[in-house]
Amino acid sequence: MNIQDYFSLVLNDYTLRTITLGTAILGAVTGMLGSFAVLRKQSLLGDAISHAALPGIAIAFLLTGVKDSYVLLLGALISGLIGTFWIRSIITKTHLKSDTALGLILSVFFGFGMLLLTFIQKQPNANQAGLDKYLFGQAATLVESDVILLSCVTGICLLVMLLFWKEFKILLFDEDFTKTIGFNTKTIDILITSFIVLAIVLGLQTVGVVLMSAMLLAPAAAARQWTNSLSTMVILAAVFGAFSGVFGTAISASQNNLATGPVIVIVASIFVLISFIFSPYRGLLFRQIRFIKNRRDLKLHKTLAFMYHIAENHENISHPHTVKILNNFHGYTRGTLQKLVDKNYVSLDGQMWSLTEEGFKTAANLYSQQSKKDE
Amino acid sequence: MNSAQLEIQIIASLVAIACAIPGTFLVLRKMAMISDAISHSILPGIVIGFFITQDLNSPFLILLAAITGIITVILVEHIQKTGLVKEDTAIGLVFPALFSIGVILIAKNANDIHLDVDAVLLGELAFAPFDRLIISGIDIGPKSMWIIGSILTITIGLLIAFFKELKVSTFDVGLSASLGFSPAIMHYSLMTISSITTVGAFDAVGAILVVALMIAPAATAYLLTTDLKKMLGLAIFFGVFSAISGYWIAHWLDASIAGSITTMLGLIFLMVYLFAPNKGIIAVFYREKQQRTEVSLLTFLLHLKNHNEESERHVNHLNEHINWQKVRSRSVLDLALKNNMITIKNNIVSLTKKGDDFTTQAIDYIITNENAQIEDMKEDFFLFRG
Repeated sequence: MNIQDYFSLVLNDYTLRTITLGTAILGAVTGMLGSFAVLRKQSLLGDAISHAALPGIAIAFLLTGVKDSYVLLLGALISGLIGTFWIRSIITKTHLKSDTALGLILSVFFGFGMLLLTFIQKQPNANQAGLDKYLFGQAATLVESDVILLSCVTGICLLVMLLFWKEFKILLFDEDFTKTIGFNTKTIDILITSFIVLAIVLGLQTVGVVLMSAMLLAPAAAARQWTNSLSTMVILAAVFGAFSGVFGTAISASQNNLATGPVIVIVASIFVLISFIFSPYRGLLFRQIRFIKNRRDLKLHKTLAFMYHIAENHENISHPHTVKILNNFHGYTRGTLQKLVDKNYVSLDGQMWSLTEEGFKTAANLYSQQSKKDE
Repeated sequence: MNSAQLEIQIIASLVAIACAIPGTFLVLRKMAMISDAISHSILPGIVIGFFITQDLNSPFLILLAAITGIITVILVEHIQKTGLVKEDTAIGLVFPALFSIGVILIAKNANDIHLDVDAVLLGELAFAPFDRLIISGIDIGPKSMWIIGSILTITIGLLIAFFKELKVSTFDVGLSASLGFSPAIMHYSLMTISSITTVGAFDAVGAILVVALMIAPAATAYLLTTDLKKMLGLAIFFGVFSAISGYWIAHWLDASIAGSITTMLGLIFLMVYLFAPNKGIIAVFYREKQQRTEVSLLTFLLHLKNHNEESERHVNHLNEHINWQKVRSRSVLDLALKNNMITIKNNIVSLTKKGDDFTTQAIDYIITNENAQIEDMKEDFFLFRG
């Protein structure tokens, strides 16, 4: 199956449609909430939470003995929240730094989860197979009810976000100010964090514990490059996330042996890479171009200033000089001279150059900042 | 206990020591999450190395994977340097991408290679003794024991040789640069050691659990001491203790050894986190409560000193005047009485000589706010606690 087949199949085939819709919605909601995580400098929290959710899944299975995805996700949610608040308390109550707290909770919860999973596997219960799909995720196991659940959560997220938009925004950019004007920062904080945990837990089934953090970060980091406005960033992140989901599913469906989760992550990373390079204001490419252009302008100015100092000594400013005397000057190249001619600052006659009236004036005002025109 | 069990415990302990040493410095340098990133992103290195060597224990594979780890660090630093995203976002972007490449590489070649992601991520210590190193026909022990043993030897050698350089560059980058020890060289050497250790340990305990062995013992030790040598020693002790106790728990539960070692690490951390003498949660709560009571007492005494009229000093009035709840005012009143600061006659509270002196001193301190006076105050407050 190639990619074209895939797109024609999406509309007809139940499984493909469900999976595509599921990954798209997941990408959108994680992108949206990820924007908050990225801006709050909590990027790695997602990684920690997704790992911390594992023991919850195992314990939920041990207690209930059923493999119902709602029950398991509830377990994951609870253990993810416990992990998050433990991280908080480590950071605020002890002198351990956030990176240590994150790494500690992440690895310890994950290890505990693995202990429980291997313990479950040894149990005489035929029902346990497939729990390890939460490690790497299997988009193929998405069914319609999962997609409905995802849409509901996305709807609630949107609603809450719209309701508390100004609270979220103000908390994001100035926490102390928020406190002084009387908002309860703790409640808002818990609200945002809980929604991030919720989004991560929902993604576990699709992309798995290990790669979930990228789903949260990559669309938001890509969106950040294109805008300085929060609302635009959230929308863009949702779009990038959704597209990563769709493209990732398309590519993995069109090839054999390709797990969906990693492909989605790669697609999202490509979005990030493109944004890093090509975004007009912050992107590396345009930044480099601006840099080169500025340097060239500076060289041009230096040549002009050098000419000015020579011409200054003559009564007639347009007195011709040979090009040779410019050779010792490092700002000079054939190109810069030509550019000056093009701008009508210099007139060239064979091997001789002379400053024009306009060029002389510009050069005189070059460093006095009287001419407003910036070259 | 048979020889295989003994070997497993030796390997686990060696891994724990080898991880605890770089882990301590990572925690102190606030770079703990880098170890998480390295442990994930070595996957493509391992896979490509495996294509070439067909042997998970070959030194070439370890080298290649370690280079991938260093590439991760450099990539993260470069992304960070562009200023487009924050450092933690850079980490979070790089390692999932590299890890995904590794997973895809494995999946695309699933038929050709005997390597699966679970094995790399989770490891299986129980199988370690079966892969033996045989030199000219003589069996000299499990391969992974030799690998991790040599990594540990190198780590310890470097640690002893460059201990003061590491110490200085960890705590004061500027000083270390001005003394002529390049912080950059220290940084990259530490990263290299961490990468090599991670790779060397992954097939015994798995990539993610290496992170636990690096961070958890160091974090636990950091709650107990602020001395670098003691911290290293404690971290090694916690690592080895959880390695051995974890092994027996796994044996008893018939579950993953790596998982139970990590669980032990977590439990030890939880214990220390709750009960550490100065920095534990309970100690912190107790101290905060003490300080709150002390401040209340001081407020109360100042109030008494400021008011001579009897109506202001009536027990019931105090209750509402300072706006405390009943229990709190009662405990403050009791505390003051116990220390002979006040006397109560007909429900009228008045300061004693001792209370009066103390309050004057406190006012002096608050007004002048000189450091020299703090020491006396501390002792006074200490009396109250008894």
